[in-house]
Amino acid sequence: MSNSQTFNPAKTNRAHLGRKRALLHVVIFSTLIVSWETGSRIGLLDPLFYPSPSSILNSAWTIYVANATIWYHLYATLGLVFLGFLAGSIFGTGLGAIVGFNSVVRRFLKPYVIVLEATPRIAVAPLLIAALGFGSASKIAIIMLVCFFAPFINTLSGVVNVNEDKLELFKSLRASKLQILKKLVLPEAIPVMMAGERLALTAALSGALVAEFIQRDKGLGSMILIYTRNLNMASAFACIFTLTVIGFLIFRGMEWLDHRIAFWKNEAGLARVSTKRARKMEGF
Amino acid sequence: MSVVSSEAAREQSRVPIGVKFFQLAPHFALFVFLLIIWEVAVATDLIKSIMIPAPSAIVASIIELYFTKGTIYYHFGITFAEAVLGFTIGAAIAVILAVSSALSEPFKRYIAPYAILLNVTPGIALTPVIIAWFGYGMGSKIALAAVLCFFPIYVNTLTGLIQRDEDREDLFRSLGAADILIFTKLRLPSALPMFFAGLKIGLTTALIGAVVAEFSQATDGVGVLMNRFSFQLNMASSIATLLSMTLIGLILFYTMEFLDDRIVFWRREARRASVSWAKRRAYKRRVK
Repeated sequence: MSNSQTFNPAKTNRAHLGRKRALLHVVIFSTLIVSWETGSRIGLLDPLFYPSPSSILNSAWTIYVANATIWYHLYATLGLVFLGFLAGSIFGTGLGAIVGFNSVVRRFLKPYVIVLEATPRIAVAPLLIAALGFGSASKIAIIMLVCFFAPFINTLSGVVNVNEDKLELFKSLRASKLQILKKLVLPEAIPVMMAGERLALTAALSGALVAEFIQRDKGLGSMILIYTRNLNMASAFACIFTLTVIGFLIFRGMEWLDHRIAFWKNEAGLARVSTKRARKMEGF
Repeated sequence: MSVVSSEAAREQSRVPIGVKFFQLAPHFALFVFLLIIWEVAVATDLIKSIMIPAPSAIVASIIELYFTKGTIYYHFGITFAEAVLGFTIGAAIAVILAVSSALSEPFKRYIAPYAILLNVTPGIALTPVIIAWFGYGMGSKIALAAVLCFFPIYVNTLTGLIQRDEDREDLFRSLGAADILIFTKLRLPSALPMFFAGLKIGLTTALIGAVVAEFSQATDGVGVLMNRFSFQLNMASSIATLLSMTLIGLILFYTMEFLDDRIVFWRREARRASVSWAKRRAYKRRVK
């Protein structure tokens, strides 16, 4: 393989360029880290407030391996996020579909949706905690509320914004309502809905953090808050970088799921499914 | 809002008042009906008033907060200022970085990983740290608002600037336009709708940032007021305060919508028509 490609200057150039760019990325990153480290070593950055990378790594080691305190809290937070997201997005998607298919409901719900959209929904957190008491119930309620909205709006807009011309074509060919739903509405709506779910999952993580900031019994949010209050900034940053990793995994996971479910929106997925179907047809 | 409100908005504007009243009457009827059910449910103890207070109690505390005592104005102003200042700082940084990224490919390449890193971290997680850095005053609220509203504005401005209409660019080039002219006359105008969409998202998240920072640690602001009321189990006042946050959100959103309408006038039929009429009149005057 390498033999045949050595004569292709464009390709080798590209590989070379890629390596050069990756190297430059690494150089920039390590320069940042090294200057940060030296800055806090020579006292330009107060280590009490701006911990050095080495101390963050050190406390990450402590909370992950030596003391292993983070696992319990990680489990608590992720459990909350999962439950709240599931409940909120099912509720949001369901309601969005009902409202989307029913124009009367839509007209009467509009003013309330506008008001609800302008309210910072996380702001309801103290109210919910006062109403439902301390414990998981109020935390899950907060997460539900926070991640209800994006699936609701996106399902609604996905269902409502059907291409009129296509709809006319479907109707003129006497497609049944079920056929219109399955072949026209859903294929257009599902990618939009998936985008809503993605927003909701990110929002769920934020919602869980706010809920844990307010009631600090367990979870990553309470860990960050308590570490910061004790001015143990290195550990707080270790937790925040944990959240970065979780956020990245959520982002990538949802992207993967999006490609799987809404396969007709990307070429690779389309090719995959069509080869699978072709193989199935071969039997006949 | 964009989805639900855009449908009938255009026809609504030309309807006479009498017809408009008949259109709005069922909405009011439904609203009043819901309020009555709610009130009755609380009065008959179907809903515990300590969890969900009666609408009359909420109205009473709105009157108290806004008119008899007027305590809300001070906190309202503080939160409003925090959100707007934070938004301004965050948006300024985002726009500077986005424009530099759009103009220089290497800059974009090497800044992108950090922008993505900042995006996947829930910004709210930084609340305690930012409070430790910037203190208990308004500074920390402004900082959190700026951090939270940075990313949507950055991404939208960048995508707006990057998207290119090859045909139009060819036309510009064939007419001998300089690069700077292509940027100001073609790329900038076509980026504006995306930019405003980003600003609208950014405003909402900036408000969230200000309020969440106030929940965590503050002395003034709507968030503090609400936290205080709900810890006293004074739910009516708490909900009244929540409604004032909605009011802030609505004011901010519609200001931005108005600016959007004025600046990106060519996206809306009615505005485009009026602007082109104005231009035509000005042209005629000049010709005479």
